[in-house]
Amino acid sequence: MATATATTRPLGPAAGRLARRHAWTGAVVTFFVLLLAWNASQTRNFGAFEIQTLLASTLPLAYLAMAQSVVVIGGGIDLSVGAMLVLINCLSARFMEGTDLRGSLLVAAGCLAVAAALGALTGLVITVSRIPDIIVTLAASFVWGGAALFVLHTPGGGTSTGFQALVLGSGSAWWPALLCLLAPLLLVWAPLRRSRTGIAVYALGSDRNAAYLSGVDPLCTRVVAYAVDGLLCGLAGLATTAFTAGGSPQSTIAMNATLNSVAAIVLGGVALSGGVGGLMGPVFAVWCLYLIPNIMLGLGVDPSYGEVVKGVVVVLVVLAGGLLRARRNRAP
Amino acid sequence: MALRSVDLAVERGEIHGLVGANGAGKSTLVKILSGVLGPDAGVVEVAGRAVRLRSPAHARASGLAPVFQDPAFAPDLTVAENLRLTGTDQGAFRRRVGELGLDGVELGEPAGSLPLPLLRMLDLARVLAHDPALLLLDEITAALPADYADRVFAAIRQAREEGRSVLFISHRLLEVQEICDRVTVLRDGRNVDTYRTAESPEGFGEPQGGAPRKRGEQRIVAAMLGERAALAVTEPRRVARTSHVQPGEPALRVRGLSDGHRVRDVSLTLARGEVLGITGLEGQGQDELFAILAGDRRATDGEIVADGRRLAARHPRDAIRRGLTLVPSDRWQALLPQRSVRENLAIAHYTAPAEWGWINLDRERRQVAEAIGRLSIDTRAQAQARRLSGGNQQKVAIGRWLVGGFTTLLCFDPTRGIDVGTKHQIYDLFRELAAAGRSVLMFTSELREVPLACDRVLVLYDGRIVAELAAADADEATLLGAAHGLAEVLTES
Repeated sequence: MATATATTRPLGPAAGRLARRHAWTGAVVTFFVLLLAWNASQTRNFGAFEIQTLLASTLPLAYLAMAQSVVVIGGGIDLSVGAMLVLINCLSARFMEGTDLRGSLLVAAGCLAVAAALGALTGLVITVSRIPDIIVTLAASFVWGGAALFVLHTPGGGTSTGFQALVLGSGSAWWPALLCLLAPLLLVWAPLRRSRTGIAVYALGSDRNAAYLSGVDPLCTRVVAYAVDGLLCGLAGLATTAFTAGGSPQSTIAMNATLNSVAAIVLGGVALSGGVGGLMGPVFAVWCLYLIPNIMLGLGVDPSYGEVVKGVVVVLVVLAGGLLRARRNRAP
Repeated sequence: MALRSVDLAVERGEIHGLVGANGAGKSTLVKILSGVLGPDAGVVEVAGRAVRLRSPAHARASGLAPVFQDPAFAPDLTVAENLRLTGTDQGAFRRRVGELGLDGVELGEPAGSLPLPLLRMLDLARVLAHDPALLLLDEITAALPADYADRVFAAIRQAREEGRSVLFISHRLLEVQEICDRVTVLRDGRNVDTYRTAESPEGFGEPQGGAPRKRGEQRIVAAMLGERAALAVTEPRRVARTSHVQPGEPALRVRGLSDGHRVRDVSLTLARGEVLGITGLEGQGQDELFAILAGDRRATDGEIVADGRRLAARHPRDAIRRGLTLVPSDRWQALLPQRSVRENLAIAHYTAPAEWGWINLDRERRQVAEAIGRLSIDTRAQAQARRLSGGNQQKVAIGRWLVGGFTTLLCFDPTRGIDVGTKHQIYDLFRELAAAGRSVLMFTSELREVPLACDRVLVLYDGRIVAELAAADADEATLLGAAHGLAEVLTES
């Protein structure tokens, strides 16, 4: 029967635990490395320029996947991440047009504040009204989409080249985009993850009742999670502005981005049931999803098949993960 | 409203037992005291000061610390992270873990990967680490291995030495008698009796001891039943009825059934034309037993023989094909709330091969009409099953198998939340079915209905059948005693 000694396992304790906890992220990173190597072998003179392209073009979706992860880890789901991206994209493109770097940065800061506030508002509505996340955020996505059209009727706006270079780097300088990606991880997520609020986010997603009995304040926790979500969506919007040098209020962009963010977190090891996962796994998943169509292209296959393969990969990977988990649960 | 009015005073340095039958309001009381629910009226005082407990965190800060049957650990977080969530000092926690005799607990392990009994012990250690004034232990010993239970008792006694108070809730009267200083009995949301365990059984501590302790248990059982016990004696027995039990091959035979978890070595025989009752407290393995019989769960051991042939069901469909059909406790598990009464009654019928893929609507209509007539289902609201009254919903859930056909009907608490008139209609239906050679195995948490519907009753305790009684002997006090694990004590007398 159950005894206390049952918890000590033959595997080296700390290392084994670490390996088990981050097994999924490890697998996704390995998968990414394999894909990158394959892609590199297809390309002549693969180098800094290709890395820069990868980082810059995936930056918006990487932010978005991080945003979605925070909410899903907390036991919710946000269907408005794409619409928020579009809204902030339009807002920043409209007000950055014709500014210099300083002006652009000022606008960017304002946009981030707006995004975080709107995110917090979403979280507040969800918790107070007790309407499920999926419905509130779906409604929010229409509101943000409409607001984006209000800000920018047609594709347009602009930004400063200084801002573009700062966010994405220029030529083959790949490190600015990487720094921009890591900045929120180091400045926002890492401290949060170590704080009591961060643990509360995981606890709430893991077992709402146990979290409540442990003294977690659901209102405060969800508002914080959704505010971080909003902030990261805002970053995604700004990255889009930098990448496209303008804004576009098209709702198809929002929809695609939202669905891709869900695919990325699932592939990246965040459980849709909540409480499990991190932010790095989904980022690597975004890169994998970017590389697959590229590799298909390199193989001379019709790019349309790339999307099919992407979908199949997501299902297969999640299926394999589920089977492994089921086997491990049966083992003891 | 589970609680009407409870006055309860737990003294400093006292272990206070709280007992009561299912639904007496024990859990609701704990939820109020731990800040999960707010009271509609009344006050809670801690150390003489009235407190309004707004949340679990606030209750804990006020010195009230609960340990629930389901430990309050988020399964995906490590133990250490869970401790941070409650602001528990790791040093104090480790010390308490040591006192509970649990060594080698890895704080970096996800809580969900630890076995449930250990987790409950860790929950107790965590609560103790906060130096609470009052420990609230809700069924902490339920399904706890014996060695852990002993450590819990030791910890409780030590807490008393440290001047803490303990509110100890348990279904196991023996341990309540043994560990508690005083016991309060709840019935229908009120406290009906409080007594000191040391003084109640006269001559406590005499070496031959068994008799006085038994008296204490009888007092608890009597208080739990209240006037109902008196009624049961005065009211003329309604056991009446002729038996329809047929000799020969039984409808269902179960031998040594276990699921490696909650069901332990259950054997029973159900004759044709017999209504066999099973009773027990919550969580004694009845849900699992019925799930196994209905083909919804696999047994690890033992065999089921239905209709003379061995049944190894992989799916409820297999059990249904062999005439073993379940009416679950939650009616919504069985009914299609948005669909009509006719469709709800006919759905089980669809599992039989239809004629060349077509459903013979005429025959269906005839059979449905027959079932409606036989069960006297009120058809005014027949367009949607969800608009029926609870009693009529239950009739539809049963009637489905009258249409679909069965040999043995498994009914789980068929009269829960149903008015008296309908209850008697259901008992009569069971008797009619028995007369027609069908068999019924019904679990009931309502002890009073056992003699009204059944020929025989089995009592389940801790996954085992601990008593078997003929309907005539199955009075409430005997059943309740057996259900609390007092079978041997009672058969002695």
